[in-house]
Amino acid sequence: MNAPHTHHQCSGCLSRRQCLQVLSTAAAGLALSGEFFPALAKARKPDPDFVDPAALRPHPKVRVDAAILQQPRPYWLGWPGTTYELDRHQREYRAWLAQSCQRLALQLHEEEKPIEDESGMTAFLKGVKERKPDAVLVILQHMSGWGWANRLAKEAGVPLLVFSPIGTSFTGHVAGFSRQPGVYVVSSLEWPAVEDGLRMVRAKRMFEETRLLWIRGDQRNETVLDRLGTKVRAIPRRTFNELFDRMPVNEEVKEVASSFRKHAKRVVEPTWQDSLNSARAYTTAKRLLADEQANALSMDCLGMVGAKLVPTPPCGGWTLLQDVGVTCGCEADLFGATSLMLTSYLLDRPGYMNDPVAETVKNLLITAHCTSGTRLYGFAQKPVPYILRSHSESALGISVQVLWPVGATVSLIRFSDTNQLIIDTGTVVSNVNTPPAGGCRTSLEIRMHNVEDCRDVLGFHQVVTLGDHRRVVEAFCQLYGINVIHSPEHAARGKASA
Amino acid sequence: MSHAPADRHPSPPPAPGRTCSPPPQHPLPAPRAAGLRATHRQAWLGPCRLAGVLALGLAAPLWAEVSFTSPGLPPTQMDDQGRLLEDWGAVAVKLTGAGLPAAPPPAVQSVKLDGIIPAAQARSQYGPVAVTLTAFRAPAWPAGLDVLNVRLTETAGQQTSAKLSLLLPDTVHLGLKTVTLGGRAVVGLPTGIKVSQAMREWGWADDALAMPGWATPAVECDPAFRNIRAGMGGVPILYRFKVEPKARLNVVLGFCESYWAQAGQRPVVCRVEGAPPQELDPVARWGQHQPGALLFAARDENGDGLLDVAVLPKLGAPDQNPILNVIWLFPADTQPNLEQAIAGRLNGAALRYVDVGGSNDQSLYAGGQAEYAFQLPPGGTEELTFLVACPGASVPLPDRAAWTPEKLRQSAAQVWRQWQAR
Repeated sequence: MNAPHTHHQCSGCLSRRQCLQVLSTAAAGLALSGEFFPALAKARKPDPDFVDPAALRPHPKVRVDAAILQQPRPYWLGWPGTTYELDRHQREYRAWLAQSCQRLALQLHEEEKPIEDESGMTAFLKGVKERKPDAVLVILQHMSGWGWANRLAKEAGVPLLVFSPIGTSFTGHVAGFSRQPGVYVVSSLEWPAVEDGLRMVRAKRMFEETRLLWIRGDQRNETVLDRLGTKVRAIPRRTFNELFDRMPVNEEVKEVASSFRKHAKRVVEPTWQDSLNSARAYTTAKRLLADEQANALSMDCLGMVGAKLVPTPPCGGWTLLQDVGVTCGCEADLFGATSLMLTSYLLDRPGYMNDPVAETVKNLLITAHCTSGTRLYGFAQKPVPYILRSHSESALGISVQVLWPVGATVSLIRFSDTNQLIIDTGTVVSNVNTPPAGGCRTSLEIRMHNVEDCRDVLGFHQVVTLGDHRRVVEAFCQLYGINVIHSPEHAARGKASA
Repeated sequence: MSHAPADRHPSPPPAPGRTCSPPPQHPLPAPRAAGLRATHRQAWLGPCRLAGVLALGLAAPLWAEVSFTSPGLPPTQMDDQGRLLEDWGAVAVKLTGAGLPAAPPPAVQSVKLDGIIPAAQARSQYGPVAVTLTAFRAPAWPAGLDVLNVRLTETAGQQTSAKLSLLLPDTVHLGLKTVTLGGRAVVGLPTGIKVSQAMREWGWADDALAMPGWATPAVECDPAFRNIRAGMGGVPILYRFKVEPKARLNVVLGFCESYWAQAGQRPVVCRVEGAPPQELDPVARWGQHQPGALLFAARDENGDGLLDVAVLPKLGAPDQNPILNVIWLFPADTQPNLEQAIAGRLNGAALRYVDVGGSNDQSLYAGGQAEYAFQLPPGGTEELTFLVACPGASVPLPDRAAWTPEKLRQSAAQVWRQWQAR
């Protein structure tokens, strides 16, 4: 019921060492078939130019202050009640908190003794203001702790996570409080939801720690995104294709190309040369990210292909990087890339940004694009089957048709800007093949939830990711002051305007 | 794949700031903020000014033009009068007050904030009050923001009244939190302090955008229904009308929703002083492209001689951009017929008729400047921070940005450090 494993556990169940092994495995392109291969462990001559993709993912320092709030003992009447086993519960919660922090690599500053009076709370607040942690977590052990939670929300100056085990609140305590910006409340016995909150704090720090390469145009500059804190380094588009031209077909490239083909369910159009080129796009991106001390990118890929500056679109390489948690966005769409970062950093899984199409006969949304990760269930989980195809618009290179699980729930997530995010959910009805359809290779039919008419789905380049993440994403947004909207539930009547 | 359509909502706003501090225990002879140090920089110096510099024997030459920027962005210049020269106009500061003399030309120099952020600084002495302007470029996506800090310090040990004027082009409109020029937000005003200048008889006092011709009424109606002002990003629309204190009036608000075809997308809350607030979903009530009106029995409840009329987004509404098309003010003893008002037949009977976002609309304040009144205690300081649109940029809309002057400065320092480490 309340075991300390989360539904987003993914890499959470792996040790750091195991995790790195998996990341390196995928980076080498050798684990895409659904199995991990012993061949991975084979000794390889150290390559001084090798870029470890695991090192590209941001690893921020994340600091959380925590305290238990109780009343002086013994308890008598009132909730949680005289029979509530304070010591046992507090031991349990402290242990679970330690485990969660270890899983998420958070630094925990925990008050040794429960806070049980106003002076204790004042001292705790003073410490929080001095230490300036990334968030504060309080665990309520009495119904009267809500006043202190309110005080923390107003005065601490950092996001506040409140765990209120059943027996420490009524609806009236949480109805208003839990909906205010900067606050995340778990009124439940489910510890995994608390870990979700800690994951939100980590995700925010990952955003802040990320430098995103914006590869487009001919300018070089660096700016910072409001609210998310992500650094955006604009670099000239030619940087990529010039580096690609110099990128050799080395052992890594051959291994990646070979493995990518070997573990595909089918290879339709791509030749061996296409595979080598796609793997070179992968090694080029890694090298560029490392050189620029960056963690993610979004590139004007279409423009580059249109100008015939590269022999392959980067789609295949982007798939490989997405699978190890390194965001690679398409078409230099900055907020498409930040939406991909959200699934990566908060949900520990890849997604793909899509071009939305209305299927008006079946009233379904079709979401199509050229780049999708394959580890849909999480970076540390087995990948789903995929087919190697060409990039359909240009008939060049490799674009992956990832076969999404039919019947599964998916979330569609899109930052409109750093102040607003669209989230909707739906169910995968089918994978759309090209042909007979035109458009991009990974293409899904989705029956939308709570959207009467598929034509009304909001956004463009929304990121499709596996699972129903509505509540977690909404909570993340509330914690960091981002407005959340959904597509209209009811269909438009009459003539819509532009 | 194809290119995404442009996002409908504009980019986020900042939160400029104001700080006030008590007199320092040991006032510094020169008002230099902590973390500042003068640096050499290249600047053109005329012969007279060069002579002045040499006479002062300063390592860092003064009275020159200084430019500053953030990595890769076009620079802004502070001229030898201490004015910021932007691509939309100049921003200057003037201090006036009883007994305060006119200031001599300021000493302008290049400084580095936190040892790394290039900045321009202008220092002037207005009798007992030292004024220091410090401007740097913050790397706020997408094109940066100039941050202008104005610091007043009383240096003669006497209580001093002063009026600080931010001098701007005459063509700007002064809003509640921003200054706009042709729809571009060019200055973000400090939080926590209100301008002190004279008001017009009525006008908008918000940061909404005028969008003439936005609506397409499907029936014949008053032409004002074609125009709106929109509070993009959740900005409330706010009008103020000078009235007799405690006066009672009938207020009619006109709406025409032409974007959404379905109900529930843009519900708004109308707050007219002295009347119960009314929620309105124009599509649910009248339909898309259908003009409609609401009546409010208004009263200057707080007796300040101003009647406030506001339209806000309803909490949780999918579309957080409130709109308003028309305002009519009628005497309290007149019961306006709403159908007649919608048809435009009561305009002559109205005390005020406002074609919101249209030709007869106006700001509550005249353009050209923003004024702030201060009482400086002996040795006391006051600081105001303005956000200024740098070349190619707009100031983000209020209430949407999480930027603070402190965060902007931290970001600037981070970016410069990492840029130099490349």
